[in-house]
Amino acid sequence: MLFSYNWLQSFFDKKLPKPEKLAEVLTSHSFETKVLKEVGLPSGGKDIVLDIDVLPNRAHDCFSHLGIAREISVVCNIPLKIQPQQKLAIEKRKAEEFLKLDVQESDFCRRYIAGIMLGIKVGPSPSWMQERLIVLGQKPINNIVDSANYVMFELGQPLHAFDMDKLNPAKIVVRRAKEGEQIITLDNKEYKLDKSMLVIADSSDPIAIAGIKGGKKKEIDAKTKNIIIESANFEPINIRKTSQKLGLRTGASVGFENEISPALAADAIERVMALISETAGGKIVSEKIDFYPKKFKPSRISFGFKDVASLLGVKIPEKKALSILNRLRLEPKKEKGEITVMCPSERMDLARKEDVIEEIARIYGYDKIPAEIPEGVLMPVRRNDNYFYGNVIRDILVGAGFSEVYNYSFAKIGQIEIENPIAMDKKYLRMDLWNGLRMNAAQNLKYFDEIKIFEIGKIFRKAHERIIEKNKLAGVVVYKDNKKNTDVFFEIKGVIDALLSGLGISDFWFDNSPEPPINRVEIKIGNDGIGFIMSPNTFEIDLEELIRLATEEIEYRPVSKYPAMIRDIAVLVPPSTKVINVLDVIENTAGKLLIDTDLFDIYKGDELGANRKNLAFHLIFQSSEKTLSDKEVNVLIDKIIKAIEGNSDWEVRK
Amino acid sequence: MSENQSLDIFQSIRKDAFGALEEASDFETVHKIEAEYIGKSGRLTKILKSLKEMSLAERKEMGSTANALKKEIEEKIKLKKEEFGERGGSNHRDADWIDITAPGKKISRGHIHPISRVLKEVTSIFESMGFEVVEGPEVETEHYNFDALNIPKEHPARDLWDTFWIKPLKNGLLLRTHTSPNQIRYMEKHQPPLRIIVPGQVFRYEASDSSHGIQFYQLEGLMVDKTTSVANFKALIEQFFKKLFKENIQMRIRPGYFPFVEPGFEVDIKDRSDKWLEVIGAGMIHPQILKNVKLDPSQWQGFAFGMGLDRITMMKYKIDDIRLFHSGDLRFIRQF
Repeated sequence: MLFSYNWLQSFFDKKLPKPEKLAEVLTSHSFETKVLKEVGLPSGGKDIVLDIDVLPNRAHDCFSHLGIAREISVVCNIPLKIQPQQKLAIEKRKAEEFLKLDVQESDFCRRYIAGIMLGIKVGPSPSWMQERLIVLGQKPINNIVDSANYVMFELGQPLHAFDMDKLNPAKIVVRRAKEGEQIITLDNKEYKLDKSMLVIADSSDPIAIAGIKGGKKKEIDAKTKNIIIESANFEPINIRKTSQKLGLRTGASVGFENEISPALAADAIERVMALISETAGGKIVSEKIDFYPKKFKPSRISFGFKDVASLLGVKIPEKKALSILNRLRLEPKKEKGEITVMCPSERMDLARKEDVIEEIARIYGYDKIPAEIPEGVLMPVRRNDNYFYGNVIRDILVGAGFSEVYNYSFAKIGQIEIENPIAMDKKYLRMDLWNGLRMNAAQNLKYFDEIKIFEIGKIFRKAHERIIEKNKLAGVVVYKDNKKNTDVFFEIKGVIDALLSGLGISDFWFDNSPEPPINRVEIKIGNDGIGFIMSPNTFEIDLEELIRLATEEIEYRPVSKYPAMIRDIAVLVPPSTKVINVLDVIENTAGKLLIDTDLFDIYKGDELGANRKNLAFHLIFQSSEKTLSDKEVNVLIDKIIKAIEGNSDWEVRK
Repeated sequence: MSENQSLDIFQSIRKDAFGALEEASDFETVHKIEAEYIGKSGRLTKILKSLKEMSLAERKEMGSTANALKKEIEEKIKLKKEEFGERGGSNHRDADWIDITAPGKKISRGHIHPISRVLKEVTSIFESMGFEVVEGPEVETEHYNFDALNIPKEHPARDLWDTFWIKPLKNGLLLRTHTSPNQIRYMEKHQPPLRIIVPGQVFRYEASDSSHGIQFYQLEGLMVDKTTSVANFKALIEQFFKKLFKENIQMRIRPGYFPFVEPGFEVDIKDRSDKWLEVIGAGMIHPQILKNVKLDPSQWQGFAFGMGLDRITMMKYKIDDIRLFHSGDLRFIRQF
């Protein structure tokens, strides 16, 4: 919110600190404050605009120059000036003689004061008043409207003035709108109301949307002589709902929805009548109408100094704390080691002892609270597996040349729809990671020849009408040179090998997906799928499954004292034959002396014939009991060859 | 040629060659000396070539001396070459020689996302101070995201969190706007003393610009014990910044407001351009929150904080646009 430095100064006899210094002090103790700009004034001279980010819990009392001036008075420890009493022209009569007030909704309208002024003369407001409004970005209108606005900026109470002579009969009703009832507001806009909304009405029609905006019909114009001034207090939630429904946010609605003390209405009407009398003449009808069924009671809070020390971790000297509370006008009373404070009516944020301790802390200064290492038994920290293995996976993949990207959790398609999407391509929560990665890859091919990227993140799906959130890992490999892309499937497979073995998972295998699409290859452990390769270049793995299976416990097997023997074997098979099928035959035939089998080449070439591919394996034999002889290994090899050639489509190359 | 004469010649060749080699200060010179004495038409080579015109006895005598000298010079040259070869002569033809200024062979290694990198560091600092990493859902209920945190419906404080809602609205599901719901989730299930951090993505429905994203990383912290105080929070955060930035970072705590803490404060740190940057919102856990999770506020107290990891990462690496984090742009990622 914007504030005028000159206006703030007007509350003090003593000179305020310079704007930058003032901003610094307010930021440290109250609200973040920026010196926004310097404004030249029409009358000469200048003013400074401060932008003060009033905290939401202080909107009750600090959306006003007086509120900020009170803060300044406390944090800078300078007293507020006592405002001189003005002598006013009074008409000793009762407002009731002129006006009938009927408040039908006392839950929504907590207080309604109607004051009446007679014989005023509408004209431009004085330049000093105009200047203050202009500095805050307001447009001066006339002395009546400007005075009401002025008081709102000064005290924080929204006010409204009606032309009393336009009300016939002179009656004000505070009621709910009828369904479909219409009003044209001061700015000539038409609003259709419903029965949840509160209006100020005359005997038949609404003349204002209560607490939000006045209507055109009873507005003050150049001929207005007698006026009704409304200083009311409306219930915040209803104001907020109405304002949101109508899409109409005004200074008044913001004020009311943050809740203002009903006590303020009385001060504000005195002040605005004095200002109108000063700027537009006329006489004030001495006795106002004041509908105020439930009187506001200021809260009383008790606490001990030990509470302050315990929460803040520092012993603030009692004298110091008491002085702070006094400056805050909390009237502290000490009794039997307990402090009791009385909260001023505008401090609606103060409700419990912690609130008061905060007041002491911020005024004392957080910078003065010493840093103190916490006591307590240090428990060993339990490891979070998701997080821990996430980092292990990152390290493995980065080592394999992959870079990590983050994509938005939103996507063009998905199962979970967003009520208020920010863009057309972000209407849903994503249901996979790999589609996003493929888009990243396409983007990046403009700049790089080789793309290897991965992402760890959540995907969102629906199951039995519930939202399922899952951690996934996905990756993609793409080369600009298309020739390199032909082998990319095996590169992906290699990466998965490296990743799973890096996590201590060894018994995984690849299976053709039972469901379309045809290019989907399942990654399985036992019978359970843990992810898939979307052939040729993308993979996606369920991170939670992976982590569940990952084990750090590597079991040591004694190294054999006897040498290993390696034999190579090449098998010609039809192109559709799976490597795993050949491997199965080899491993099932060889027995336990075959300790490892490596596929080291897959070759397709014209000289092999059209329907052939060559698979080449290293077979490693080793015994833990003796040195194997050539003869023993040859027997096994012969057995393997025979088994392979048992399949008439397969041929061992000799 | 008499025997003495020839010995003189050998001695003078020896003296000259060794003298020159001793003085030689670069590879080029050694190379020249090599040519001058033992090259094709070198001084010593000429003598060796002339041997065949001599008598057998002379040949035998001179030959062995000449060859011995040749060997001696060769060895010295080799030593010298090695000496300079290591410093990298420009036209060295020795097979063993390596140009160490040539670039190394590129080994393809990827890059971790800068936020993951910072998160890892941040987490390890907190773990070293006894904080456990905990996670929570990204699709949250209105209850945990707002109501249980003292942010009732229709309260203007809700305006602080612009929210993405999930269809249908009546289910009251949303994308969490902060990691704070996990304070409630964790305290409901665990008894103090508590020390946790909760890293995670959060979402805000707002126009994005270079310093505001619709999705960003936050880290929630929570500590509850018998005497946990503002002074403790200050110590913890000071330690944290010191370790993270490896230098003394200027920090300030100023009043702030979050409905679930009291007192509430903000922590700013000074960036390199001397501007205060808001990086942590924090406070002492509101007594109502403790009551909500069935903890007795007269027994337990503690602090909670939420830290913007994007902001901290931006500061650490001088990144000027928050949207880069979700761009998937490798020109950005590959710098980390």
